[in-house]
Amino acid sequence: MGIHLLYIEDDAEIGAWVNEDLGGRGYEVTWLQNGERAVEQAAGCRLVILDVMLPGLDGFTVGQRLKKAYPDLPILMLSARTSIDDKLEGLQFADDYLTKPFHPDELAARIEVLLRRSGSYSTEPLVLKHLLVYERENRIVNNDNGEEILLTGKQFQIFTYLLRHLGQILTKEQIYEGVWGDPYLDGDKTLMVHIRYLREKLERDPANPEIIETVRGVGYRVKA
Amino acid sequence: MKKEKLPKSRFRGSLLSRYLIIIVIALLFIPVVFPASLVGYQFVQSIIVGNISPEPEAKNDPYTTMRLEDMWHREAKRLKGNTPEQIDARIGELHAAYSKVDMFWVDAKSRVRQPGTSKLKLPQTWEAADAVAYMKRYREATQQFSVIAFIGDDQKLKQGFMVMQVSRSELRTGGYEMSARTTMIFFGIILLMFLLFIAVSWMFFVNMRRRLLRLQSAMTVQDGSNLPDPILIKKTDEIGQLEHAFNGMVVRLGSSQRREREEEELRKRLIANLSHDLRTPLTVIRSHVYSLQKEQLSDKGRQLLKLTETKLGDLSGLIDNLLSYNLLTSGKYTLEPERCDVLRIVRESAAAWYPLWEKEGFEADIDLPEEPLFWIIDPQWFRRILDNLFQNAVRHARSGQYIGLHARALPGGQTAILVSDKGQGMEASSGDKGAGIGLAIVGFLAREMGLVMDVGSSSQGTDILIYQAAGSEPGLKLTNKV
Repeated sequence: MGIHLLYIEDDAEIGAWVNEDLGGRGYEVTWLQNGERAVEQAAGCRLVILDVMLPGLDGFTVGQRLKKAYPDLPILMLSARTSIDDKLEGLQFADDYLTKPFHPDELAARIEVLLRRSGSYSTEPLVLKHLLVYERENRIVNNDNGEEILLTGKQFQIFTYLLRHLGQILTKEQIYEGVWGDPYLDGDKTLMVHIRYLREKLERDPANPEIIETVRGVGYRVKA
Repeated sequence: MKKEKLPKSRFRGSLLSRYLIIIVIALLFIPVVFPASLVGYQFVQSIIVGNISPEPEAKNDPYTTMRLEDMWHREAKRLKGNTPEQIDARIGELHAAYSKVDMFWVDAKSRVRQPGTSKLKLPQTWEAADAVAYMKRYREATQQFSVIAFIGDDQKLKQGFMVMQVSRSELRTGGYEMSARTTMIFFGIILLMFLLFIAVSWMFFVNMRRRLLRLQSAMTVQDGSNLPDPILIKKTDEIGQLEHAFNGMVVRLGSSQRREREEEELRKRLIANLSHDLRTPLTVIRSHVYSLQKEQLSDKGRQLLKLTETKLGDLSGLIDNLLSYNLLTSGKYTLEPERCDVLRIVRESAAAWYPLWEKEGFEADIDLPEEPLFWIIDPQWFRRILDNLFQNAVRHARSGQYIGLHARALPGGQTAILVSDKGQGMEASSGDKGAGIGLAIVGFLAREMGLVMDVGSSSQGTDILIYQAAGSEPGLKLTNKV
């Protein structure tokens, strides 16, 4: 049984294609061609993919209704409207905004990120090189020697934050503000220090990190 | 300057006519003011002052010039034919009655005779020369009031003449002469009239000023978006007409604003729909391309599909830029500048693009200083500029396989952001002209935010310097490096 997604798209061709593609990736998709019954259909779904231009109720209205009924349900807007205004309006309630035409791989990647962020982890551990990460149990095991790796509170928060944005590069400001919740102060070395200790615990060779990758001049990334 | 023809307005009820009425009344009043003051004086005198403090026995006082003169001539007439002794006696009686008045008389033989009580020092005889000297001394002297009467009213001096004199200080002004208090009241009333005129004029202008200020405050709208409220018109004069015109303007402004909003709405909707209608088939084509890629294909077929996919991406970007440019240049986007760290925005934007660069095999050479660089920009717009530049690099500088992001110190002490690639340059732009509209957007956004985009292009690559236009002209600058 795959993860249940609600997909609202009026265009038959695109709808059929996305439906098939996501089905092929192991998701269970409910596809609606308009937003009239979206709220009732959303029950039991883990994520909603929503088109903006819909007959009858438009996507923004449907999205707002869904968010009101299920505040924790992630919504991904999938729209042919690309203006900044549309994006900003959409992102007032939606968690992500993808414009058409899109590559199905990108859609799948974004769905994965959103599910991860909303805490819909699978019971299977996430495999990162030599690490097994049990996200549900907040447990990290070194697969080389079977030992569990214990992290301090902040180290764990930083690592989780990076995992939640798996594959994305995060700048030091983004990580700091995401973890500490305060605005980043220039020249603050706290984050660098934490990442150094984190690497010492996680990496096989802390001098050549493989898990937490440094993207020179930009930030850090954890790749799957 | 050409003289504008003013609109005709009715004279009646206009400010001009009202002011003229005030002036005319004031002018007409001047001849009326003085008699009116007298009447007013009489009124004040009899009703108010007279009752409170009556002037001391004005009616019965014998020491008034008129009465004294009257009395003297009467006595002179009555003494006609009397003997000098009888005349002496009568003048003595008179002197006793009018103790403050000096009296003497000169008989037919020019001998001066005076009553024994008189203190006057006079010559024994009174010749014509003495009379002249007397005239000079007393008559012209204002301190003395004197009356000369011919006895028996005889001009030929058969009986001589009689003289009386009295110090003016002993006299009371009466009849045609007015006391100081009367003068004060009289001028007080005139002053009051003038004050009244000034007050009326003052009120006229104060009222006008108040109405003008009201109009001004009505025109000054506090919150930017709203229109001023129409004014309640109370009068039909010039200011009333101005208020009327103002109300008309408010109505017209409101309708034009509404029309503009509707137009803007329409345009936005049109473009959103256009975008949707163009992108939907693109998405469908893309879905088919994607499905085709999963089929068994020859190498040639796969290559063609790859090319199709690339062109689809270009087309989508082109649609986006075209529509954005349309919206941008028609001023339908609002610029919201704030002070922000541009390096942070550049880093975040690079982070979003990095995976694509990686996938395309680009070398990303990013070296930005740690210290923040603050510019006053709209972060959304700045991201848009960066997106366009990065997009261009991926599409048109593919051959260089390089993207560089650096900070450069300019001669003026400013810091610029340098975006560079190692493509074939703008001229040879890999055959497609997609860069044109993209650069136009970038140039427009930069100009609106007061940034300079200095684009230097050669066959070895393109360098784009972005910096704040301190004094220089903002916008896009294209130079071809040799």
